[in-house]
Amino acid sequence: MATVAKSAVPVATERGALALLAGVPRALTIILTAAAVLAPLSLIVYQSLLNAPFFEAVKQVGFDAYAFIFSDPDFWSALVNSLMIAAGMTVIAVPLGGVLAFVMERTDFPGKRLIEPLLLVPSFVSPMVLSFGYVVAAGPVGFYSILATNLFGGIPWGLYSIAAMAVIAGLTHVPNVYIYASAALKNLGSDVEEAARVAGASPFRVAASVSLPLIMPALLFSAVLIFFLGLELFGLPLVLGDPEGHLVLSTYLYKLTNKLGTPSYHLMAAVAVCIVAMTIPLVLLQRRLLQNVRRYATIKGKAGRIRELPLGRWKWVAVALVGLWLFVAVIVPLTGIALRAFVTNWGFGVSLAEAFTVDNFREVFNEPTDVRAIWNTVLLGVVGGALTVACYTAIGFATHRRNDAWSRVVDYLVLVPRAVPGLLIGLAFLWVFLFFPPLTPLRQTIFSMWLAYTVVWLAYGMRLISSSLLQVSNELEEAARSVGARRGRISREITLPLIRHGLLGSWLLVFMIFEREYSTGVYLLAPGTEVIGAELVSLWQGGAIDVVAALSLINILLVFVGLAIALRFGVRLRD
Amino acid sequence: MSSRLLLLALATIAAPVFAQTVPPGYPADYAQTIAAAKKEGKVVIYSALDTKAAQPLIKDFNAVYPDIKVEYNDMNSTEMYNRFIAESASGQGGADVMWSSAMDLQVKLVDEGKAMTYVSPEASKLPKWAVYKNEAYGTTYEPAVFIYNKRLVTGNEIPHDHASFAKLLNTDTAKFKGKVTTYDIEKSGVGFMFVVQDSKYFPGMKDLEKGFGATSYRVYASTGNMLEKVSSGEHLLGYNVLGSYALVRAKKDPNLGVVLPKDYTLILSRVMFIGKNARNPNAAKVWTDYILSPRGQKMIGGEVELFSIRTDVQTEYTAASLDKELGPNAIKPIPVSAEITAWLDPKKRLEFLSDWKKNIAAGSGK
Amino acid sequence: MTELTVENLHLRYGDNPILKGVTMTLDRGEVISLLGPSGSGKTTLLRAVAGLEVPHEGRILIGDKVVFDSTRGIDIPAEERNLGLVFQSYALWPHKTVFDNVAYGLKLRNVRRDDIGSRVGTALDQLSLGQLAERYPHQLSGGQQQRVALARALVYNPPVILLDEPLSNLDAKLREEARAWLRELIVRMQLSALCVTHDQSEALAMSDRILLLNGGRIEQQGTPQQMYSSPETLFTADFMGSNNRLPGRIAEIRNGVALLEGRGFRLWGTAKKGVAAGADGVGMIRLERIRVADGPGDNRLAADLSTSMYLGDKWEHLFHVGDARVRAYGAEPLAAGRHWLELPQQSFWVF
Repeated sequence: MATVAKSAVPVATERGALALLAGVPRALTIILTAAAVLAPLSLIVYQSLLNAPFFEAVKQVGFDAYAFIFSDPDFWSALVNSLMIAAGMTVIAVPLGGVLAFVMERTDFPGKRLIEPLLLVPSFVSPMVLSFGYVVAAGPVGFYSILATNLFGGIPWGLYSIAAMAVIAGLTHVPNVYIYASAALKNLGSDVEEAARVAGASPFRVAASVSLPLIMPALLFSAVLIFFLGLELFGLPLVLGDPEGHLVLSTYLYKLTNKLGTPSYHLMAAVAVCIVAMTIPLVLLQRRLLQNVRRYATIKGKAGRIRELPLGRWKWVAVALVGLWLFVAVIVPLTGIALRAFVTNWGFGVSLAEAFTVDNFREVFNEPTDVRAIWNTVLLGVVGGALTVACYTAIGFATHRRNDAWSRVVDYLVLVPRAVPGLLIGLAFLWVFLFFPPLTPLRQTIFSMWLAYTVVWLAYGMRLISSSLLQVSNELEEAARSVGARRGRISREITLPLIRHGLLGSWLLVFMIFEREYSTGVYLLAPGTEVIGAELVSLWQGGAIDVVAALSLINILLVFVGLAIALRFGVRLRD
Repeated sequence: MSSRLLLLALATIAAPVFAQTVPPGYPADYAQTIAAAKKEGKVVIYSALDTKAAQPLIKDFNAVYPDIKVEYNDMNSTEMYNRFIAESASGQGGADVMWSSAMDLQVKLVDEGKAMTYVSPEASKLPKWAVYKNEAYGTTYEPAVFIYNKRLVTGNEIPHDHASFAKLLNTDTAKFKGKVTTYDIEKSGVGFMFVVQDSKYFPGMKDLEKGFGATSYRVYASTGNMLEKVSSGEHLLGYNVLGSYALVRAKKDPNLGVVLPKDYTLILSRVMFIGKNARNPNAAKVWTDYILSPRGQKMIGGEVELFSIRTDVQTEYTAASLDKELGPNAIKPIPVSAEITAWLDPKKRLEFLSDWKKNIAAGSGK
Repeated sequence: MTELTVENLHLRYGDNPILKGVTMTLDRGEVISLLGPSGSGKTTLLRAVAGLEVPHEGRILIGDKVVFDSTRGIDIPAEERNLGLVFQSYALWPHKTVFDNVAYGLKLRNVRRDDIGSRVGTALDQLSLGQLAERYPHQLSGGQQQRVALARALVYNPPVILLDEPLSNLDAKLREEARAWLRELIVRMQLSALCVTHDQSEALAMSDRILLLNGGRIEQQGTPQQMYSSPETLFTADFMGSNNRLPGRIAEIRNGVALLEGRGFRLWGTAKKGVAAGADGVGMIRLERIRVADGPGDNRLAADLSTSMYLGDKWEHLFHVGDARVRAYGAEPLAAGRHWLELPQQSFWVF
């Protein structure tokens, strides 16, 4: 038999300059990330220790700001409310998101292709508009409420309560969890589920005892992230909390901007620092719960087909569940928005037929800034989003599988920007671009807004990529090492192709987030760079709520259609 | 004789040439300002008036001065303030013109020396209370009004002055429980300014506050929100709502009723000033003068649907018409002066707020 | 020539010591099995040689090149050691075809495209995978995937290939066939191989030498025959082969022969290291060495037949001796009741 001739294969020599050089991209990535996060944060911390804007000549260092807020009963009630809403929201969104992901990814649920884009709708509606939709639909004089009064004699729900806010927030954040969970579920082999099914478990039992526990890292990460979103919720409590005076941290911050007459940055900064301080125990908790992450890695070398779990008679339960969620989270608010867009006025005693109009839509199309805003936003979301995902991927790789101090540092850092409420982080970015000389020429360009968005949403976009990375079995990378591939090549040629679903999911998530963002970039706007979020708020403050509704509806439709088209033509969220 | 005729002839020929450039009644050297403004090429404005509403104004300005591009940034008054002070502290240009409804913040900036002294040729045509140190100018005349839901509040229930508003709340409490709305004076600078002025002019303010407490009043930061809720019937009455928005809405909304209080009506005036370190100072001057001119004021009182402050302007919404309707004694404009900045002192402000809250609480029986 | 040398390797995970001083050599053309129960450190040793784990003490040389030396701070990373590694789970890259999987190592070595094509083709043919070059891993059976993993490890001619439980993922029938051709392949290609396995019969069949690891140390090493027929410790004896254990007391020792007494038996056996008269001891004999005798006699014991199992090629009889259970093979079925079993002294070891 022919033997394979032993040829002299050149093997690289020991460690040296080459190895050192290999560490440079990682170090650079981490340093840049840290700088981008710490720049606005350090300004905020510094500001919280002063009693006047930090750029004023006359100021003193001290803890006055903290003294003030800690002695303000509004602060404490806002804190309690925020924690309650954040907790309630997490408890609702995470299991529901996980179950929905399971139903969509792992079972033979009918009409998946149609339903999937619908599932994502709440994520690309501005929260203020969404909440307003609820008011029109289910508020004290909303049409569903009137219907309920006619049927039941009263309204069985209180829209302006903390409970309602937590429920609505939870339900409308299901898409976020859905994206994380479905990316993780994508890579589970079917054998574990089929084993459970054969043993007699119903599909939901399978989900609860097998599939979802196996994606525990993804669920836990998203729980932490959702919790943080809950702490910085602004649009929702503004519309639904104000009527009965329920304050949350962000609306409390809003109050602080005018309560003392001139905006009190130091007070706002002190509140922000308190929230940021909460990241530390949360991340610690998250790390604790995920100590043994190895057992979750499931893309192994042994590839298997993913077979759909048949739902059988549980199909109707699943349909009911999905339908119920769709109704409460999508249909109710959207019908509210739609209604408002098509009428001149609404409410008690108004005949909807009489009030019908399409003027609001005409106004939108007559207004060049609105049209331009739509275009800008889509551009920022698609192109900017892709760039953002590239950055997140680089950071994800820098911390992938390295459990050293650097990775831990990055873990905390990425969450911090989102912990700062939107009102303040936008201001902080303005300060960064104004007072750090190297960055000033970029302030008036769209780059500044893109950078602010990218930094603020670091934790969210990155987590999707990190959890995808985690699911790539260690062995696949070790096998590449054993045949001679260096780290960089492994990342590019082995790991990256295997996480493409995570990348796509992240891009989608980033797109949806950029779509409705407002406060982060508000101080970096310039004429010509308007985005929809800013347009909506500006119109809202001007009282043109009808136009707001019309613009929102157009926006939702555009994104929905765009998403459906993308999904059809290969930007596949599923294989 | 003939030389006079010649001069007249020349003037007649030259007049159109001049009229194109220098507005009537302006000093002749204004032509230089215009020329410099054209050279600058643009004016950067930070304004609380949303772009959509300002469009007709900008268009008309460009009809007169096509070479000056208007870079119009609309943002709320707090954002404007934040951005302006940060930009000036960092030595980087930003706004040439600041045009905000937060009158107190604008005056404060002027007091801090951040405004350019400029005597507008139109200044003499403005009421005295609207001109501050020749640096800041009031540009509009927007009343604080009551609003009510036409279907649910009828006849005698409609309050026509402050006293009857207070009485309504304190006597018909059950009907109006949870259905009365006004600005959250902690969140809204405009709302705060209004009630401070109320305390000056309305002796029965305390009763009103108690009435708010008794009816568990609802507060919001945005005018639009209040208008929606009163129009839809979720609320029945609105107090101290910015009249410019209310009247525009009432025009096409049959649900919404608007009342200009008879005993006195507060007037808010959007304050405009030119930044001291404006990059385009001449363009800024030209813009300011345009806004204060009859032509600009006509737009403001017309298509822009605010109220014009000049009494010599004939259009839909004018100070003159308000003055006529209410009588000169009932008009109480918020002065563009140090009086309003006094309330920016945290101690004084918090004291007022705490008194306010105390009276509310007393009214609600706690 | 020695292809692989490991000297005094110590490795721990945190505070937990896994390898406690392992020394071994592998010569060219040799197949060595690292055998042992789970937790013995055999996979860790393999991975340390590969460069995927870092010991904290010791030396590793590939050929005469030092790839790891704790005293001199040398630790050549895995991607530069030029070894072949076959994973237990095969670790085939699911997004690459069979061809690309195998070719990757050559691509990394900047081999020219046409050369890659021919070399990969040869490797695949040698492993009977020629038709499958364009398939993806999930379209292959377990056995095929294993061969692809092998081809991938071999295609660039590493001096040593490391195999981590190469046969454990195959079903029983396949396993027997596979170990035959795997051994043949290794011999034919004159490879030097280090295999990890927990299956002693696999180790016996495939290796030139066996290293039995226990608790991070080498319990015994030797040829399969030595390991099987001359175990030095109880652990080794117990691990290799199927055994009967008879606990008892050592009555006396005489010239390398010990007398073990227990409930229902008195037997002479080969005395192994460490036995002492008067102490407790364990007697061990391979199942195939016990003979069913026709009656009492020298070195025999009485046992009651409990049950018999038919294995196709022979019978396995289960006896009770006092408390102990003893199994023996036989060609024919036995009647119930008392029988006599003979335990030849050379085959009966006393520890």
